[in-house]
Amino acid sequence: MDNRGPRAGEPVVIAKGVTKTYGRTRALTGVDLEVRAGEVLGLVGHNGAGKSTLMRVLAGLEACDEGAVLVHGNEVSGAAGPRAENFRAVRMAYQETSLCPDLTVAENIWVSSRHCLPRLGWRRAASDAVRRRLDEMFPGHGVTPRDRVEDLSLAQRQMVEITRASLVDRLDLLILDEPTESLGPDAARSLYDYVRTLTAAGTAVLLISHRIREVLSVADRVAVLRDGAVTAERFAEGLGEQDVLELMGAHVAVPSDRERTAARAAGDGADRPVVAELRGATGPGLREVSLRVGAGEVVGLAGLAGQGQQEVLERLWRPVRRDTTVVGTRAYVPGDRQRSGVLPLWSVAENLIVTAMRGLARQGLRRPAEERAAVGDWVERLAIRGGADAGITELSGGNQQKVIVARAFASTAELVLLDDPFRGVDVHTKTDLYGLIRQEAAQGRSVVWYSSENAEMAHCDRVYVFRAGRVVAELVGEEISEERIIAVSFAESESDGEQSNE
Amino acid sequence: MNIRAIVSRPWIWGFAAAVLVWAIIMAISGQGGGQTVSLALSLAPYLVVVGLGQMLVITAGPGNIDVSVASIISLAGFVSVGVAASTGSATVGILAGIGVGVLVATISTVAILGLSVPPIIATLAAGLVASSVTLSLANGFTAVPDPGLRQLLNVRPAGIPVLAVAVAALTGLVIVLLRRTVYGRSLLAVGQNRRAAERAGIPVARVIATTYLVSGALAGLTGALLAAYIAPSADLGTRYLLDSVAVVVIGGTLISGGRAVPVGVWGAGLFFILLDGLVNLVGWSTAAQNLLKGGLVLFVLFLAGGGDRAGGTASRFRRRPRPAAATTTTTGDNTHG
Repeated sequence: MDNRGPRAGEPVVIAKGVTKTYGRTRALTGVDLEVRAGEVLGLVGHNGAGKSTLMRVLAGLEACDEGAVLVHGNEVSGAAGPRAENFRAVRMAYQETSLCPDLTVAENIWVSSRHCLPRLGWRRAASDAVRRRLDEMFPGHGVTPRDRVEDLSLAQRQMVEITRASLVDRLDLLILDEPTESLGPDAARSLYDYVRTLTAAGTAVLLISHRIREVLSVADRVAVLRDGAVTAERFAEGLGEQDVLELMGAHVAVPSDRERTAARAAGDGADRPVVAELRGATGPGLREVSLRVGAGEVVGLAGLAGQGQQEVLERLWRPVRRDTTVVGTRAYVPGDRQRSGVLPLWSVAENLIVTAMRGLARQGLRRPAEERAAVGDWVERLAIRGGADAGITELSGGNQQKVIVARAFASTAELVLLDDPFRGVDVHTKTDLYGLIRQEAAQGRSVVWYSSENAEMAHCDRVYVFRAGRVVAELVGEEISEERIIAVSFAESESDGEQSNE
Repeated sequence: MNIRAIVSRPWIWGFAAAVLVWAIIMAISGQGGGQTVSLALSLAPYLVVVGLGQMLVITAGPGNIDVSVASIISLAGFVSVGVAASTGSATVGILAGIGVGVLVATISTVAILGLSVPPIIATLAAGLVASSVTLSLANGFTAVPDPGLRQLLNVRPAGIPVLAVAVAALTGLVIVLLRRTVYGRSLLAVGQNRRAAERAGIPVARVIATTYLVSGALAGLTGALLAAYIAPSADLGTRYLLDSVAVVVIGGTLISGGRAVPVGVWGAGLFFILLDGLVNLVGWSTAAQNLLKGGLVLFVLFLAGGGDRAGGTASRFRRRPRPAAATTTTTGDNTHG
């Protein structure tokens, strides 16, 4: 387990001068990359740097415009397009999962691995295989092969997706695209344990993640992708987070403490008018939750994923029960942008203004001039790449997320609910959006912000930490820190196990 | 505007097909084409009105369809003629027809939103209710359509029926509705991604209810006008079920929702009416006509491949040999494939 396998094995997949253009976006401008047997290669870069596109090209899902992809030294993907049989041993787990929501877990396995399943009795074979692999990779996953994917939580879907990718008779390269974004720390740890078993057996693993510390702790080498090309390749050993961030060209996102304390000096929340309140709310996933949101306050909901934070957002979004009071209008920023964010047929402008449109309209009639002005403002303010008239699906994930965030803030809503919206968003964009949230709060807007990334909670005025549907701590001002949140959310059971994860 | 931009307009094909059929009719019958066009223009509006309602419903997203339109047309025909005869006012008769449509659509809406019945079942059930009322009304029905209204529907200054102009104006209204009103934009958003629309603060249930009620009202209007033009009968609306869905699909509206093409309903409507004329001219039976129409709808759906959305993703996987020189200047042609 501690032996990471040969450092410089045979190259499995090689990319040579690969370029790729979608519509107006140049996703890849000439990528040279080599993935060797038995290594974990970490790939980092901003959103829009071209990571997802590169992965699709390396997995043979997409032809490159120029350059070539070599698998085991044979050129297999030139301008003529990739052929599926050459990429059998290259598998990829997607960030936004590729599972069919209406099929069961076992049926999904059949969809992607039917060439290694028997024709008769495939269901049993697939069920056995996926159960075994899930047990190996994610002990305590809680998934059965007969579950419909739609009924699984985001974390469980991610587990199944990774398992699906790994289930094949011969695996040369496993590509993991943001595998831990929706996983808890336990699942992430067991995933990386399994990755090491894989590499010890000679499989190459390509790991893409925004969590740089995680990449550094797992990868043997790190490649930095910037503006569609690999700009640096380093050995992970001796490399620090700061070094990688600098290689990525990021200004390191440090929450400006001065700004925060200034915001807080204006009032600690107790004397502000209350915008929303939960009084002992109990229900599915919630037990005796009481919380309060003041005007112009940024309230964080922290803790491990799935401890009741989203249920609180749901209550605030649709305050139908008596234990919930919400004054004024609300806007919602979903985290699962493909399922509940993007309107795929529309342009950036149309996607952005759809919420604000209602407030701007007079007697049910839209006012195009005002809408255009608002769109122009927001596209500029958040530097949305591609501009207002680009199709939303032409944008990279991070830029799509900017549009979804802008959609909520462009409205006149007094309370904005954030449902972990910055998953898989690059450092740059995040810093912009954090700034935006503080600015809007300073102007009197209230924000309720659920995040699975504890570091983000530093931008809040007050943080409620959740565990098993309860509020286990309320942190105010200087008390808010990553260490503190982690300590509280793991409190009894896992306080010792936490150290090894960091 | 180059040829490519014109060809990529989804509504162009209905008109192109209509012109083609018109040319064939002229070639076979050897008569002047003007009369054929005038006749088509006096029949097509009925189909267009019910088609516009169906278009709005289909635009509301996957699963949404109104199969009660045929029964509503028949029922509204009887009710409007009966009311017009007893009150002596054709306007009240038409309003009664529209009212009946809204009433039947209310049943569907309550079933869809309140009881979560799939729209196809809900509208089928509401249609059955309407049909049974129609049958009981048809027994011993003696009233005759208002002669004034009938005359008006037959007025054709310069060969262009007044009704065609009125329905063209209605089509314009629907275009404005979809582009310029909050309801129209909300409908398009709901059709693209219902969850996202809900999270964006759109009152999804209200939008869907409105849509079914508008479809019911338009079907009721069709029934009222058609009964005055022909005569009320229990199977007045029968052919409009398949036809209303077909003109929407052939007109370029996305069957998966989120994109409506009102002008296309006109093109496809004219095409269908002319096609009827052609097969009558050739002497085909009704069964053969229906076979042809059903085949056409399937063919168009096959060509559309489920629409732009599916087409867009499909072309990303398609092997597309490119000249090595083509790099940055490609302008989004893969999103419209």
